[in-house]
Amino acid sequence: MFDFQSLWMWLIDSKNWEGRYGLPNLITEHMTLTFMSIGIAALFALPIGIAIGHLGKGGSVVVLLGSASRAIPTMGLLFVLVMLLGVLQRELAVTMALVAIAFPPILSGAHAGIRAIESHIPEAARAQGMTGYQLIRLVEVPLAMPAIIGGFRIAWIQVVSTVVLAPLIGLGGLGFGIIQGLSLRNFDQVVASAMLIVILTVLGDQLIGVAQKTQSLRLENLSGGRNK
Amino acid sequence: MTWALNNVELIFQLTLTHLFVSVVPLGLGFVLAVALARLAPASFAPGLTSVLGAVYAIPSLALFVALPALIGTDFLGPTNVLIALTIYVISSMFFSARDAFASLPPATIEFAKAQGLNAGQRFFFVELPLAIPGLIAGARIAAASTISMASIAAVVGVRNLGYLFLDGFQRRIFDEVLAGLLAIFVIAIVVDLTLWLLGRVLTPWSRRSRV
Repeated sequence: MFDFQSLWMWLIDSKNWEGRYGLPNLITEHMTLTFMSIGIAALFALPIGIAIGHLGKGGSVVVLLGSASRAIPTMGLLFVLVMLLGVLQRELAVTMALVAIAFPPILSGAHAGIRAIESHIPEAARAQGMTGYQLIRLVEVPLAMPAIIGGFRIAWIQVVSTVVLAPLIGLGGLGFGIIQGLSLRNFDQVVASAMLIVILTVLGDQLIGVAQKTQSLRLENLSGGRNK
Repeated sequence: MTWALNNVELIFQLTLTHLFVSVVPLGLGFVLAVALARLAPASFAPGLTSVLGAVYAIPSLALFVALPALIGTDFLGPTNVLIALTIYVISSMFFSARDAFASLPPATIEFAKAQGLNAGQRFFFVELPLAIPGLIAGARIAAASTISMASIAAVVGVRNLGYLFLDGFQRRIFDEVLAGLLAIFVIAIVVDLTLWLLGRVLTPWSRRSRV
């Protein structure tokens, strides 16, 4: 069995909290890469997904992209982009790979959320004299909110698990401790890094889950609980 | 292209290992997910849902190297990978299995009861066959992500197609990385088609009724 005391000693050892590859630096790097790429992906995926859902055309492309993206090995995608852009551009390459990974789930979430709205609701909104833009902003997006957040939840999982691979191309992030620890046979470092990654990822996932639940409950309350 | 032709034997070897480390977890995970969805008492459902949801969020490389600390396996080699991928398959397939069984027509189950079938007979001869389309749909999703996720196992020393990524990247052989991507893509398509075909063979009535 693994020695949890030595794991703890590694975690509280101050020299693992300092310098370029200290934990604060690695965590910051990990989070920066994650949030930046999810943000950039959302900038494109949300408007496109909402537009496709609103217009009701091109939905099959979204579904196809969603299922194809699951089958692409993220590690291969990462390496191909770094090799194409050159090692000097690896920050750009990893960001591009992460954006490409975050894009399909956010797109599918927004699209599916708007498609799932029963057709009589937008029809009623139209009958009230709403313009297309008002319909999107006041009816469709609020109703699709749980599904939109669901898309972000999947994007978070996929992106964080790929960021763990960033040290393979010479960048940092929390995966650094796993890759370095494995080659140096420093298994305390490996397990401590893995535990931190698990805690961070699951925590983020749970937080997004709470946001999703809050939105669903809000919608349920609006409809008097009838649409359960 | 020349690289792939010169290394056909290596690619074939790696493909076999890749198939092994993805198909075994898929089969095991399928059976366990169905068992869990069907046998777990209803009072476990909320807890099970949140635990499996959280497990699904764990990055694969982190789970590969966290398992040795939890269950005492070796850090390198295929054991962790097989266990970790099985856990992912369970956590992805549990939900589709639960939905597949929940959406069975209640009248059919009642008929089966009225015919005198016991619980085991009902499960194997009525419920399972009727749930096949939903189960296969879930298995196809799990298969695609398992096959691509399995490549990360190369980092912990499993020589599957992910090895082509690591080796090609280190030696700056672009074709090698590309060959890895292509081979994994082909495996994913072959397994997907096999599952689809399996679904059709196992539900002959769905074809007959459509004609």
